[in-house]
Amino acid sequence: MKRLWRCHVCNDVHWGNAPPEVCPTCGATNSFVPSDLGEALEIIGRDHPALDDREGVLAAWQWFSDQSPTVRLTAKADEMELLCKGVLENLRTKGQRYCPCRLPTGDREKDEGLICPCNFLRQPTFKETGECWCGLFVRRGTQ
Amino acid sequence: MSGNRLIWFHGRECPHCRKLAPLVDQFEAETGIRLERLEVWHNDENAKLMRSLAAVIAPACGGDLGVPAFYNEATGKAICGGRIDMPKLLAWAKG
Repeated sequence: MKRLWRCHVCNDVHWGNAPPEVCPTCGATNSFVPSDLGEALEIIGRDHPALDDREGVLAAWQWFSDQSPTVRLTAKADEMELLCKGVLENLRTKGQRYCPCRLPTGDREKDEGLICPCNFLRQPTFKETGECWCGLFVRRGTQ
Repeated sequence: MSGNRLIWFHGRECPHCRKLAPLVDQFEAETGIRLERLEVWHNDENAKLMRSLAAVIAPACGGDLGVPAFYNEATGKAICGGRIDMPKLLAWAKG
């Protein structure tokens, strides 16, 4: 079961079943200790910038695309803008940056799988067409 | 609730839905068959209806509810996704 962990050297925060053996921020080994939400929020800071505008969302998508050897952002700028608008609308009305082409079920755990970018690599659509359901991310090497 | 409607579930910010709209217009013009267009991201009632049909629609969408999705109330059949063309639409509508 996932939980919060804190690096006792640099206060890096990790959410997962187990902490990283080597802290990705400071490089310390076996440095993580179980943490909790209050401590994590205190460390992160409640003024941590939100991804709640067009520039922030597009930058996050671009970052994801740039570091991925497998997929990249679509070259269709108009579709990207439309999806960005939809994701931000969902954040405003549904509380999360949900995919505008999928429908939340109301089951929180299941719906977490709809936050964009979702884990589209496992989806049949990506395997068949080389695109995520919306066409926002496409397999590298395709048009 | 079931009837004889041919329903198109779509999302306002879904690019595939936007691209399919002219095809749906053409389908209606050529066949004289009207589809009921239900937007699911900005209309809770429509979303609720779509969720109630998840057992049929989700498998057609690759496992999760998605748009664009087409549901035929008379036959209980659904098709889903951005690669729908006129032959597929005709086959779905006519059962």
